[in-house]
Amino acid sequence: MKRWILCLGLIFATVSTRCAGAQPGSELRFCIPSDPRTWNPLLVEDDASETIRYLTGGVLVRLNRQTQQLEPELATAWKVSRAGNAIRFTLRRNVRFSDGSAFTARDVAYTIAQLMDPALHSPTGDAFRAAPGKVITRIADPYQITIVFPAPVVGLAKLFDQVAMLSATSPQHERAVLGPYQVADYRAGSFVLLRRNPNYWKHDSAGRPLPYIESVRLDIEQNRDIELLRLTRGEIDLIGSLSPESYDRLSAKAAGMAVDAGVSLDSEQMWFNQAPGAPIAEYKKTWFRSTNFRRAVSASIHRDDIVRIVFHGHARPAVSWISPANRAWFDSKLAPHAFDRSDALRLLADDGFTLVNGVLHDRSGHAVEFSLVTNAGNTARERMAAMIQQDLAAIGIRVHVVTLDFSSLIERITRSLNYEACLLGLVNDDLDPNAQMNVWLSSGENHQWNPGEKKPATAWEAEIDRLMRAQAASLDAKKRKQDVDRVQEIVWQQEPFIYLVDKDALMAVSPNLHNVSPVALRPQVYWNIDWLWLSNSGSRRP
Amino acid sequence: MKTMRAVALVFLAAVLAASIAANWIAPASYARQFRDQPDAAPSAQHLLGTDDLGRDRFSRLLYGTRISLLLAPAAALMSTVLAGAIGGAAGFAGGWIEVCVTAATDLFLSLPWLFLLITVRACLPLNVSPVVSVAITFVLLGCLGWAAAARVVCADVRSFRNSDFVLLARASGAGGARLLMRHLVPNLAPVLAAQFWISIPVFILTEANLGILGLGVAEPLPSWGSLLRELESFSAYSAQPWLFAPLLLLVLTVSSFQIVLHNEEVAG
Amino acid sequence: MESQPLLSVHLSAGYRGKPAVLKDVCFEMQRGEVLSLVGQSGCGKSTLALAVLRLLHWKQATAKGRIVFNGRDLMAVSERQMRAMRGRDIALVLQSPLSALNPARRIGAQLEEAWQIHRRTSVTERLDAVHATLRQVSLPSDRAFLRRYPAELSVGQAQRVLIGMAILHRPALLIADEPTSALDIVTQAEILELFSRLSHDLGIGILYISHDLLSVAAISNRVAVMDQGRIVECQPTARLFTRPAHPFTQKLIAALPAMPQFGCAAQAQIA
Repeated sequence: MKRWILCLGLIFATVSTRCAGAQPGSELRFCIPSDPRTWNPLLVEDDASETIRYLTGGVLVRLNRQTQQLEPELATAWKVSRAGNAIRFTLRRNVRFSDGSAFTARDVAYTIAQLMDPALHSPTGDAFRAAPGKVITRIADPYQITIVFPAPVVGLAKLFDQVAMLSATSPQHERAVLGPYQVADYRAGSFVLLRRNPNYWKHDSAGRPLPYIESVRLDIEQNRDIELLRLTRGEIDLIGSLSPESYDRLSAKAAGMAVDAGVSLDSEQMWFNQAPGAPIAEYKKTWFRSTNFRRAVSASIHRDDIVRIVFHGHARPAVSWISPANRAWFDSKLAPHAFDRSDALRLLADDGFTLVNGVLHDRSGHAVEFSLVTNAGNTARERMAAMIQQDLAAIGIRVHVVTLDFSSLIERITRSLNYEACLLGLVNDDLDPNAQMNVWLSSGENHQWNPGEKKPATAWEAEIDRLMRAQAASLDAKKRKQDVDRVQEIVWQQEPFIYLVDKDALMAVSPNLHNVSPVALRPQVYWNIDWLWLSNSGSRRP
Repeated sequence: MKTMRAVALVFLAAVLAASIAANWIAPASYARQFRDQPDAAPSAQHLLGTDDLGRDRFSRLLYGTRISLLLAPAAALMSTVLAGAIGGAAGFAGGWIEVCVTAATDLFLSLPWLFLLITVRACLPLNVSPVVSVAITFVLLGCLGWAAAARVVCADVRSFRNSDFVLLARASGAGGARLLMRHLVPNLAPVLAAQFWISIPVFILTEANLGILGLGVAEPLPSWGSLLRELESFSAYSAQPWLFAPLLLLVLTVSSFQIVLHNEEVAG
Repeated sequence: MESQPLLSVHLSAGYRGKPAVLKDVCFEMQRGEVLSLVGQSGCGKSTLALAVLRLLHWKQATAKGRIVFNGRDLMAVSERQMRAMRGRDIALVLQSPLSALNPARRIGAQLEEAWQIHRRTSVTERLDAVHATLRQVSLPSDRAFLRRYPAELSVGQAQRVLIGMAILHRPALLIADEPTSALDIVTQAEILELFSRLSHDLGIGILYISHDLLSVAAISNRVAVMDQGRIVECQPTARLFTRPAHPFTQKLIAALPAMPQFGCAAQAQIA
């Protein structure tokens, strides 16, 4: 908490010295990739809708994207019950929706009822559904509410970062908002215009209303090249995520606009198909189930080269399943696997593999070759695959790279299981390891290398199961961290997923935009939208 | 015109020879990654620079030429023969056969090929060598490219069917097969030749786009298509004009073929 | 021989939607005779030509009746047998020589092929036959000429090639459908001269179809006049001109600029 106060203090300091308060007529512009699919904050699934939810929705608690700590918003205080199945919020007083109606515990109860309504199918609500049963809300007074879930929900408070409060009474329904902005105009396929919420509760230290910027214009633009062009022309003020190539091009053209906010939560990994029912040759399954084989492959891949060539340096060799960007949960005792070809060959020799005329053979004389599938159209992955192909050729393994359209790839890795190895990335938004429960439990459907095991196929998978269940049931943060660290170690040793790189969060910010402190978590640039302000925005052409 | 033709012939011969002799001419293997110099500009060591992975562009162009120059005309030939046979037979037979074949052709043209190709990919094994994968792609293209041309051929044949020379050939006692082969095919030659020459660049580019479906050329094998695909995203290519080498080669090769063939007809 | 005519026709024919183009057309031809069939455009002359070759179905037309050629009823023989007779026993020359030749093939190839359809012989024999026929129609038979495409010939040359092709197998009957109407006067005269010479030298019976009464007078033994799908009058040439019986014939003759000089071939035949 101390750290947070310090940080906020710093922001206050910069704000008070440089910005004269609300900027009438100022407009922040950036692009969203598509039309928002929904205006209902509880139904958000796509990026565009999420952007609008972040900018318009008021939440009880907010995860500070920089400190990765929870901060009070509409709730001034909260307390999770000892059992972990209930949470009590104390609400901020004198807060009004954009339509002027007062915000009270009734609105929270209404929002929760909507969120958990099975008929609504809220994706946000799914995270709260730990067990079947009814969710009960108890309103003690207009500013005190307790929400009781049928079973403990791990990381309960943090989940409320995603829940934008709805008004129980407003005739405007979801258009009555509590966030800094409200939707003012929308042209399908063209733009969404957000204007300041005049009733927004937040003020700066000088008592001036926030946000400073009058309006936000979200232009709908699919093409990333055009987006970049518009940034350099000064037509937009920021780009939330850049490819390494665009980053390099931008830094060559306009130094200072491109920002590398450091390692993000997004990783790239490959894995071998170990499913017993997979329609592939038995002897190949034997290789894929061998820890030595997987570790040899891992040790033969030159991760530093991938970082340098494919990501132009804007990535880090990955360690295990939690990125170092996740400060709370990353196991700092682990280091990335070293590139070591002789070690790889030693591991293979231990398993009876022999190198004959530059071709690796297994014990029964089969030449070692496998196909590596990845999704077509992703240049970075195609390049990584080509580099892996080359690296493994050096230890006598032949790799056939096959690029597939995304849906047939998913069909192969989830249903038919007709593939040998796969290269994919994981886009992660959640810091809590529980979000990846379905990946690490051996019975999980997303346990990619061997999905839906009846019982753990190996001792180490059994141990992961035990540890993941233990940490999920525990409310003791220290104990949880220990368990999760252990899982990271096991994954590091066994390499069911061979983690290759953790990508950097790359973005672009116009020099006219002030108070920006880019971070790796989404929304990388405008997470502190309240405090941003623009210089010479009036000179921009319309 | 004669010098044009000579130049075109020499050019084609040179391209063909260079692609056949790629093993000896190419300064490096098409797959070798010079990882310490990715995206390099042309130099004495790398005549056309290197690609994103540090592979020698010149070598890749040579090997890519071999693949595309061999397979694209083969596929074009296949689709042309199919177009001639199917369209020709329909137009010649006339009546309900023509109606059926025309309807089938229209249906064929309206099929969502993207999805069918995806299905085809799903049926193919994953562990095929890159060369086989490219070959399969071109066979597929050959099998799919006939329909539009078949309609043109069909219409042409229909008009020939009622022409005086066909009537006279019948009056001379010519049977169906002879009419088809001796009288219709020679008259269809210009249409079929056009179909053939149009198909080649189309197939080369389609092959590149099929990469998106996991068909077509597979890493690390180069083809003109995969080399051209690198030009897709528009960024500052004016600063790197050597990236246009594959495009230039494609245009020059196809036009040279046409010059040579056109002159052949006139001279003949 | 006199008792069996070369060709004896008794025929009705019609197209879909245009039923009675030929109405009980009835005539006979002797061996070596030149019979002209004269009538206005659209009176069914060309239909008759195709009907004799049994090619009418390609024009979506049907014929009923009897066509006795050399004692065989052509309406009763199989298509296969018919095909063997086309070009070998009965040949056809069409009106527009340039469209009747395949534009995409060389003259030599087309002539050789016409030979090959009915004869399997050595290359030399085939070439000899082609050269012989070209000489007969007074065309050069050198290699350069044979390598020409139809577009590189004059209309007169093209018509000679077609006639050469028609007489390649020495047919007993040659049907010439308006063979001179596309030609200029001089060429027309040359071609007519060629026909009468061929008939004389080779004994080929010619069914000469024309709309031009004047041009046929020179070569025909007899003239049949057709009007609206019927043969209204059929007489030896000289008699037709001197004593036309049918009003339609009289009208045709009255329209002539001058009375024709009868050709020697016709004279000889009548005598």
